Amino acid sequence: MKKSSPEECAPLPLEISEEDVIEAMKSIPGYIDITPGDFKEVYQTAYNLAIKRLFNTLTASQIMTESVLSIDQGMDLVEAAGLLAQTRISGAPVVNNEGKIVGIVSEKDFLKEMGVGEKPSFMQIANHCLNNKNCMIGRLHNKTVGDIMTRQPITGTPEMTIGAISALFAEKQINRLPIVDEEGHPVSIVTRTDLAYSFHFCGRRPKP
Amino acid sequence: MNYFAKMKGGGQSPPKVGSIEVLWSWIGSFLGIAAVSLIHSKMLDQTGLMMIIGSFGASAVLIYGAVRSPLAQPRNLLGGHVLSAIIGVTAFQWLGGDTWPAAAVAVSTSIAVMHLTKTLHPPGGATALIAVIGGESVHNLGYLYVLMPTALGAGVMLAIALIVNNIPKNRRYPEFWS
Repeated sequence: MKKSSPEECAPLPLEISEEDVIEAMKSIPGYIDITPGDFKEVYQTAYNLAIKRLFNTLTASQIMTESVLSIDQGMDLVEAAGLLAQTRISGAPVVNNEGKIVGIVSEKDFLKEMGVGEKPSFMQIANHCLNNKNCMIGRLHNKTVGDIMTRQPITGTPEMTIGAISALFAEKQINRLPIVDEEGHPVSIVTRTDLAYSFHFCGRRPKP
Repeated sequence: MNYFAKMKGGGQSPPKVGSIEVLWSWIGSFLGIAAVSLIHSKMLDQTGLMMIIGSFGASAVLIYGAVRSPLAQPRNLLGGHVLSAIIGVTAFQWLGGDTWPAAAVAVSTSIAVMHLTKTLHPPGGATALIAVIGGESVHNLGYLYVLMPTALGAGVMLAIALIVNNIPKNRRYPEFWS
């Protein structure tokens, strides 16, 4: 798998042209004794440093969604589905009796259990249920979260930098990372959306 | 980049400044040079002392014409001239028997010292050179050349720059002092 570092995935603002610099210089009164080419070089280097700093200083604790919904592994699947629907979240850490993380459950696990494949479209599910008298969603009854969850979840710590988190997302192809404390209790979760906001606003995203 | 390809350049020149900027550059430099040359001709001419040297013309370009430039800031203006004057006089007194080594050492050492002290000011090179090739009247001053005309003259030019460059709304001087 191709790993991309922050320096390689140069975001768009790097692509300023010398014409842009000249226009900007015209808008500032007075003679600026730097050539547009030199300015561009200074700008690009400074921009790369800023990106690097962003990647290496922002940590999970600064961008994560603070309250986390943990689901008990013994919870009935119907109840869990209701909870996820009510809170409008697509995945949550699963904990044991001691409150320690034992897995993670997401829409993907429900779909897998229904037997409609891991990444079905809505129309595939609709088609499936409309054409089967016993829609396979019935399979979800009498099962617990512990039965369908993804075990041994990949977890992060609050000190993890967003550079490390984004690398992990890409490498493991996951969409959310439970953040756990030293004892393994989930304290929060970092989603791809949190990560996207952190790149854009350099911090935590506003509550919806 | 290939050695000869580098000689082609390929970069672009910064844009031309507006006419208001040109006007204020003219006013500032007119007043700055007027001040030092008036003091020179009206007060000092008969005494063998001097207040103006050729390098001030170059300083005027920077401190009235390119006020944002790091090379035009007070630290560079005063530091560059004074250090270069000391080096120029020393070079002449130690090596002055033959002009060319004294001249070369004066200018090259000035540039090195200005770099090292973060006081690079291009006219400083001229100040050092004048200490060597400026003729009898300059040589007679000895180290007084450092104080007068160099330090005092640059000081007068600086005062005019502070007064004039801060009049227009869009101009500001200096960017920094130290």
